[in-house]
Amino acid sequence: MNLATYARANVFRRPGRAILTVVAVVLVVVIFSLIRTAVAAWNAGVAEAATDRLATRHKVSITMQLPRRYIEEVRQVPEVKAATWANWFGAKDPKERIPFFAGFAADQETWFDVLDEMKVPPDQLADWKQTANGAILGDLLAKTLEVKIGDRLVVTSDIYPGDWDFKVVGIYTPLRKTADRNTLVFRWDFLNNDPRAAFTRDQIGWVMSRITDSAHSADISRKIDAKFDERDDQTLTMSEHAFQLSFLGGFTALLGAFDIASLVILLIMALILANTIAMSVRERTHEYGVLRAIGFPPGHILGFILGESLLIALVGGVLGVGVVVLAINHGLGPLLEENMSGFFPYFRAPVSVLVTALAASAGLGLIAGVIPAVLASRLKVTDALRRLD
Amino acid sequence: MSDTTDTTSATASTASNEPYRGTVPAAGSIVKLSAITKTFYRGSEAIHVLEGLDLDVPGGSFEALMGPSGSGKSTLLNIIAGLDRPTGGTVLVAGADLTKMSDSQLAKWRSQTIGFVFQSFNLIPVLTAAQNVELPLLLTSLSRSQRTKHVATALRIVGLEDRMDHYPRQLSGGQEQRVAIARAIVNDPKIIVADEPTGDLDRKSADDVLTLMERLNKEMNKTIFMVTHDPAAAERAGVRRKLDKGALQ
Repeated sequence: MNLATYARANVFRRPGRAILTVVAVVLVVVIFSLIRTAVAAWNAGVAEAATDRLATRHKVSITMQLPRRYIEEVRQVPEVKAATWANWFGAKDPKERIPFFAGFAADQETWFDVLDEMKVPPDQLADWKQTANGAILGDLLAKTLEVKIGDRLVVTSDIYPGDWDFKVVGIYTPLRKTADRNTLVFRWDFLNNDPRAAFTRDQIGWVMSRITDSAHSADISRKIDAKFDERDDQTLTMSEHAFQLSFLGGFTALLGAFDIASLVILLIMALILANTIAMSVRERTHEYGVLRAIGFPPGHILGFILGESLLIALVGGVLGVGVVVLAINHGLGPLLEENMSGFFPYFRAPVSVLVTALAASAGLGLIAGVIPAVLASRLKVTDALRRLD
Repeated sequence: MSDTTDTTSATASTASNEPYRGTVPAAGSIVKLSAITKTFYRGSEAIHVLEGLDLDVPGGSFEALMGPSGSGKSTLLNIIAGLDRPTGGTVLVAGADLTKMSDSQLAKWRSQTIGFVFQSFNLIPVLTAAQNVELPLLLTSLSRSQRTKHVATALRIVGLEDRMDHYPRQLSGGQEQRVAIARAIVNDPKIIVADEPTGDLDRKSADDVLTLMERLNKEMNKTIFMVTHDPAAAERAGVRRKLDKGALQ
């Protein structure tokens, strides 16, 4: 037996209450981790944005188009190694096997050179360059739409009317886990030459550039925008990180609410633990008086109570993290990645979230125990002995 | 008792250099109280529980303190045991001036000098008999094996060696009180203070406990100071005192 034996024995002294408290902590850890994982998943693309890539769009709005010729002028900037462009297509599956997926009309010569986190086998890339209605899909999207190379694929669009008939010439696989595996890429000239796209003829949605020196991306951005300062269509160039963030703009308030929700969840955990510990301490005040009488100093009483609180919180925290790994990383996560890849290309609880959940459990366990522990340790021995259970 | 010699030497070695070891009281006295007053306040009303009380308890005696409820018996016991401080007067117990000690010094002093026996036993329900007895030893520098030896000795003295792995709920009231006595003697204290030790026991168990206390007094030379309402229990003590309205009769 040692001093910890007493704290440990006290944890399950009232098994019903202890188990309910642990279950509550587990639930809080799971909910907290789910929220933080969702936030991390939404931010994953932003967090992993390439530092040597710039995005150039219309200065007024991403929804406004730029003249096609701008691409050549961007390429003339000395620090730009390569540049490509794309238009947003807004693709939909007529059979509704997937509610939504990203569709780009992109330059077949340069797109996969600049967006090199998507790997396409060279023969498929060569086919794409030879096939006017050729399309390359992410591997998950191909699986969902049940198509393989050589198959015909018909999609519709939110922007362009009618059915769009493509031939699947390639399937890309991601080289980083946050890359969207549910994107359809087809040739910009195929869109541009179609009469249904006459209203965007010779126009492009945005330019992506790879630059020589990521440390000077701000200067290079200014240099690109300066080229178009005097034009009717002025540009706004930004890092890929900022570009991704601008897409998250609509979600900012939601993400803020999620941040607040996760803090509230932690507060609930602290209150649950504090309530349990306060009840336990109140029931055991007389016992602490006995321990003080036989010579245990106030610091030991403080340690017993904090140790008990920490132990309950840690048991709940460890079990909670275990549930998160099983339920999110091996259950919900893969399910979301398959069915909602547009929103969550990668939905797994990061190690940082698991560590934070565990640290929060331990920290809040200690915080929850502080007030009851200090009050109990400061009680006069004779007062504590007079208290009955 | 050779059984407890080890315990004495183990704790004495840590206690001998303590700064709060003061003047040894008058020859033969282990407790010497002089002009003790104790006043409690209920709001602005002062309640004088002890008034100018003097007490001299010789080492190795077995004393019973009786008196009506509210006479100050437990207050006096708490002052002798270092659980409470008097409002005025001096308290010399086992050579230490308790009025000059800090709370932490008092806690350490209690762990080395005083053994407590309470009316309702006050064993920790989640610990076995052996673990309950071991509790005071956790405050010493004894090794685990030394502690185990001391616990076995203490339980053997109270006749419960075969119950060491039992939890309090598995013991009778009399057995619980004997475990509590084992806990009180395990660190070989000079004084045992007992507050109504037979109050929650039937006659037979009460007699067993009193016989055990007599043995501790006679065979191990423990000074025992017992508060009781029970005349039969008081009869077993060598000295009987009566406290009434804050003064010894």
